Amino acid sequence: MSGKDRIEIFPSRMAQTIMKARLKGAQTGRNLLKKKSDALTLRFRQILKKIIETKMLMGEVMREAAFSLAEAKFTAGDFSTTVIQNVNKAQVKIRAKKDNVAGVTLPVFEHYHEGTDSYELTGLARGGEQLAKLKRNYAKAVELLVELASLQSSSPGSNAPLLTSSQSWMSESEKSSIG
Amino acid sequence: MLEGAEFYFNVDHGYLEGLVRGCKAGLLTQQDYINLVQCETLEDVKIHLQTTDYGNFLANQTNPLTVSKIDTEMRKKLCREFEYFRNHSLEPLSTFFTYMTCSYMIDNVILLMNGSLQKKSVKEILVKCHPLGRFTEMEAVNIAETPSDLFNAVLVETPLAPFFQDCMSENILDELNIELLHNKLYKSYLEAFYKFCKNHGDVTAEIMCPILEFEADRRAFIITLNSFGTELSKEDRETLYPTCGKLYPEGLCLLAQAEDFDQMRRVADHYGVYKPLFDAVGGGSGGKTLEDVFYEREVQMNVLAFNRQFHYGVFYAYTKLKEQEMRNIVWIAECISQRHRTKINSYIPIL
Repeated sequence: MSGKDRIEIFPSRMAQTIMKARLKGAQTGRNLLKKKSDALTLRFRQILKKIIETKMLMGEVMREAAFSLAEAKFTAGDFSTTVIQNVNKAQVKIRAKKDNVAGVTLPVFEHYHEGTDSYELTGLARGGEQLAKLKRNYAKAVELLVELASLQSSSPGSNAPLLTSSQSWMSESEKSSIG
Repeated sequence: MLEGAEFYFNVDHGYLEGLVRGCKAGLLTQQDYINLVQCETLEDVKIHLQTTDYGNFLANQTNPLTVSKIDTEMRKKLCREFEYFRNHSLEPLSTFFTYMTCSYMIDNVILLMNGSLQKKSVKEILVKCHPLGRFTEMEAVNIAETPSDLFNAVLVETPLAPFFQDCMSENILDELNIELLHNKLYKSYLEAFYKFCKNHGDVTAEIMCPILEFEADRRAFIITLNSFGTELSKEDRETLYPTCGKLYPEGLCLLAQAEDFDQMRRVADHYGVYKPLFDAVGGGSGGKTLEDVFYEREVQMNVLAFNRQFHYGVFYAYTKLKEQEMRNIVWIAECISQRHRTKINSYIPIL
């Protein structure tokens, strides 16, 4: 108990009752904040674990996709200009949704397909099989990227309220230990 | 046509035939490929290539060395050799060379048409065009609004005009889908080239006609295989098959009706040449694909073309073998640079 934190009070019975009520209120507040910070910590740890797993998987998938590009180029020749010129509308799009954890809203991204494949007939005369494999590999890579982006954008989102709530919790716990 | 090419071939074409045979002797051998496969980095690849016919072709490249730089330099070298042959040729060899460049011209025209439809600048597309398919009217492509105008204004002067005629009715281009147009043009081109070789007669016909027949049948098989599961209808598919191969006419009818790989295989079993090729296709992801098997057969036929003398097929065969060699080197370089060496031996061996 440091000298600065002493509350100046007139020692009467009513003052004691009031002080006890204040103590109870402070303790309830601290418990609620503790629960909030625990829930956020749990969520944060889950997100971090998933981020690590996804990043490892990402490395593998990108490597596979780049290699299938080399295979497709070996069989089909150079189709890059055809692909770039026929770019039209996006086939894979993202929706942003809100998720609620202990009162904190976190953004979540979800991908969906729209429209048909405008590159269906590319590689008709040579390399069609390799091109189909290439499309599948890169689609997988894009889906993983969307998931990773979703996780990484929600992790600072959950980190900030976690820090503020844990700071408030600690200052509250200091104050309540005085009274 | 007088028989006995050996009497008069060398008068006009002997120098070029000797030259192309010398160039063919400089193709990479199995030992060279073994050395390349053992390289750790692209710098090692460059050092190994310096000992071959390629010499110091990468000497002026700045660091870092990438696979696309190697590819561009190899293509430039091939183009220089081809242009040299072409500039020194006389008729009818020069018509033969023109036919060879038509396939690259078709690719370039499709690129340019696509680009002008998308309102892209001509300059950036010109850079991407294949150098062997250059023709003088290329820069004029952007004046046309629609493909039909393009044909009437620009392409009617090029050697590609007769191929476009087959795709047109009443001066309007039928086919609006670029990919289908591409394949139809290629079909007309193959048939015209085949007729030219056949009319020339002599050893050239004996060598080139089987090669072109194989090319036609190969296209028919691959188009069928790649059209399973797409929105390409059976009638459309049939219009894309070249008719100058062994499969014409019964095989092509049967192929047009095929709906999966096994039905295609049964069509191929009727032909003694194609049955062993289909048998060599491994199932699933481990073995060879149909395209790999076809590539190997093409390389085999091209190498055999050098066993006869006094014909134009050596030039065609040399160009195709050189392109395959470029693809092999790029494949090995990509495997090395991506450090993914499991399939590094899947190149097609030539000699």
